[in-house]
Amino acid sequence: MIRYFINRLLQAIPVLFGVIIITFILMYVIPGDPVVSMVGERYSEETIQRLREEMHLNDPVPIQFIRYVGNVLKGDFGKSFITGEPVTVTIMEKFPNTMMLAVVAMIFAVLIGVSLGMISSISPGSILDRGIMILALAGISAPVFWVGLILVLVVGVMLQWLPPTGFGGIEYIILPALTLGLRSAAYLARLTRSTMLEVLSQDYIRTARSKGLPEWKVFLKHAFPNTLIPVITVIGTDFGSYLSGAVLTESIFGWPGMGRLALEAILKRDFPVIQGTVLFMAVMFVMVNVIVDLLYGVIDPRIRMERTGKQ
Amino acid sequence: MLNALRVLILSLLLAGCTKDIDYQTLTIPYSTDIRGFDPAFATDLRTGKVVSLLYDNLVRFDLDMNLVPGAAKRWSVSANGRKYTFIIRNNIRFHNGDLLTVDDIIVSFERILNPQTSSPQTWLLDRITGAKEYLQGYTDSVRGLTVINDSTLTIELDEPFSPFIQYLAMPATAIINKNEMEHLTNIPAGSGPWKLDKWERDGEILFTRNKDYWDGSPKIEHLRIRILSEIMTQSAEFEAGSLDIYEVPKGELEYWRDKNYNKKEVNELILRYVGMNCSRPPFDNIYLRKAMNYAVDREKIIHILLNGSATITSGPVPPRFLTGEVRTQYEYNPGKAIDLLKKAGYKNGLNTELYVAGGSEMFHVLEALQSDWAAVGINVEIKRSDWNVFKTAVREGKPDLYYLDWYADYPDGENFLYPLFHSKESMTKRNRFSDPDVDAIIEKIQQLPDNAERQNLIVEANNMIADKAPWVFLWHSKTTYLTQKWIGGFRPSPIFNAQRYTLVTKQIGP
Repeated sequence: MIRYFINRLLQAIPVLFGVIIITFILMYVIPGDPVVSMVGERYSEETIQRLREEMHLNDPVPIQFIRYVGNVLKGDFGKSFITGEPVTVTIMEKFPNTMMLAVVAMIFAVLIGVSLGMISSISPGSILDRGIMILALAGISAPVFWVGLILVLVVGVMLQWLPPTGFGGIEYIILPALTLGLRSAAYLARLTRSTMLEVLSQDYIRTARSKGLPEWKVFLKHAFPNTLIPVITVIGTDFGSYLSGAVLTESIFGWPGMGRLALEAILKRDFPVIQGTVLFMAVMFVMVNVIVDLLYGVIDPRIRMERTGKQ
Repeated sequence: MLNALRVLILSLLLAGCTKDIDYQTLTIPYSTDIRGFDPAFATDLRTGKVVSLLYDNLVRFDLDMNLVPGAAKRWSVSANGRKYTFIIRNNIRFHNGDLLTVDDIIVSFERILNPQTSSPQTWLLDRITGAKEYLQGYTDSVRGLTVINDSTLTIELDEPFSPFIQYLAMPATAIINKNEMEHLTNIPAGSGPWKLDKWERDGEILFTRNKDYWDGSPKIEHLRIRILSEIMTQSAEFEAGSLDIYEVPKGELEYWRDKNYNKKEVNELILRYVGMNCSRPPFDNIYLRKAMNYAVDREKIIHILLNGSATITSGPVPPRFLTGEVRTQYEYNPGKAIDLLKKAGYKNGLNTELYVAGGSEMFHVLEALQSDWAAVGINVEIKRSDWNVFKTAVREGKPDLYYLDWYADYPDGENFLYPLFHSKESMTKRNRFSDPDVDAIIEKIQQLPDNAERQNLIVEANNMIADKAPWVFLWHSKTTYLTQKWIGGFRPSPIFNAQRYTLVTKQIGP
């Protein structure tokens, strides 16, 4: 198990290196100029040249790249061109906000998605089932932007149950988390339903029923654990992306997270911040995937067996 | 069902009800965050606005754009226009309690000019005698800055330069506490009417009033600036009552028209225009440039698309800086445009590109311009990109046409002439317009003190530039602000850093 874990982490190294190279190349390929974001309207040419010198933008690109990689290996991601703050400090300021939003969104997604999926699978084809599935379809198809604005307008402005947007206490996180988690919830509902239906038609369920177990026990004890694998899979793919920030949700709700940080950096060509955030997001994504992989083994003995078999 | 859901949600929340209005805090939105609190890097509007809440300058602008005393209680200019003498107040304290002294002013100005600081705002002070040598690191101090005694300071310039006194009201010439210059990005060191409480980047900036402010403490206890990048979010928050002041986008004017809020309009010093690259074909041709101007039906666009919230231009300078009657040289006249086009040698019209950055608000305006030009045979393709790409392209002189606006730094006709049309500026960062007569008249305006001769020259420069048509002159925008019923004493200002919210009140009832 530990060897497997270490193996997975080692496999991540080339991935991260690839990420560094690609972001670096992209930054120099896209048009635009970081200095233009820094100087305002009345600058002199000398100011521009001095800033370029200071930011090492006049050096040949390969030299800049080697310097950057060297610094990253030392744990130094540089300083923002715009604010002068160290990139690590900026990221660490935003990451807890992003983490909080991601976790709450995922909790909503799992609670809503799995329970709707289960309810749906009780009597497939019923009006309730169809209603839930249409809702789920809508949830998958509705643009995040639209859902967010509707929640702001209905819950925040018309009903005034919650503050429309903002950042602070628990009352502020509900709407953005719902917005962010909705798509996963809808996807989970469909997935849970289909897994349940598949499992419910299997022989051991018939056996359980013929033993005279009450229906709820059949459902929760025998069928439900099988849905965990798809649930974990969805968490794996979606949670990783939540952790890298949710630009649209964050913009609508004024949530100070990683997504907006990255977006602002891209708009202003703040190279160190772009590189830092992209690399950080990649690390998060890889980590979540490794953890999900390990969880598979914990939940499903068959996968555990397979892995030990290979070694 | 709804009620059950409501009880569920409310019981989930121990913390409160959203309807409570905090009468101690004035809340306003910004659409993007500031760069920090360091005056040396206040190059954008929002950072500049925040700097002027936290710091004092020698002089400043009031809401009506008058230049009024700041840290200097009075000042005088020598007869030759080169030497400024300032008498400093001796009762101003920085937020940490230190007394503001003449030394703080010298240190603050030298800091801007110091090559180590790398400030892009050196242009504000580099006309002081000795500043250029200091800027290049040849000297340890700026010769033209002299302390006479504890309360007197003189500033000497190389040449007479009348806008200089207004430069001293700009954010970058704010007075910083010389003992606290280490972490200015995050920790301001000013003496202004507001003290910083907290800055949550991309979230909010919180201020508490400076009770001991020498010019009168703000009336309200706290000021909160929320960073809300979505206009829809801002408008929802305003409707929910959690923002106190809201700047209405042009496209929403109709929606808000009959709602129960207080409305304030202001003619901001903003000029919208289409720049034409004058240094190469096709727009090096003055007839073509004039044709572009005659082809546009400004009045119709202002009336229909902008809900009347703009004033037509006569040229680059806003009407309030022009004496006498203001009339556009370019009335809508497509026939004349077609004639000029022929005269320019484009009998069969031409195809060209217009660069524009971001924002959806002006897209219907651009489409209207596009169709006006198409009607006379000029086919303009619109090329959209993000702000940085756009600005880089304009700086490098790439676009034949670009749509842009100009926000005044300070209220003076000169601010609509030199930075935009003097060849030194236009040739390096804008539409490559160069004309010796225009340069000469602008330089003259910069030297003359504010008198009738100068005012006449500004009118002359305005007409001269309009006649050479380096731009398609469009209009000056009006801005509409809405305030909640509980807000009193708010008055918008045409100058970005004049607004310090010191007179604003927030209370129940009228």
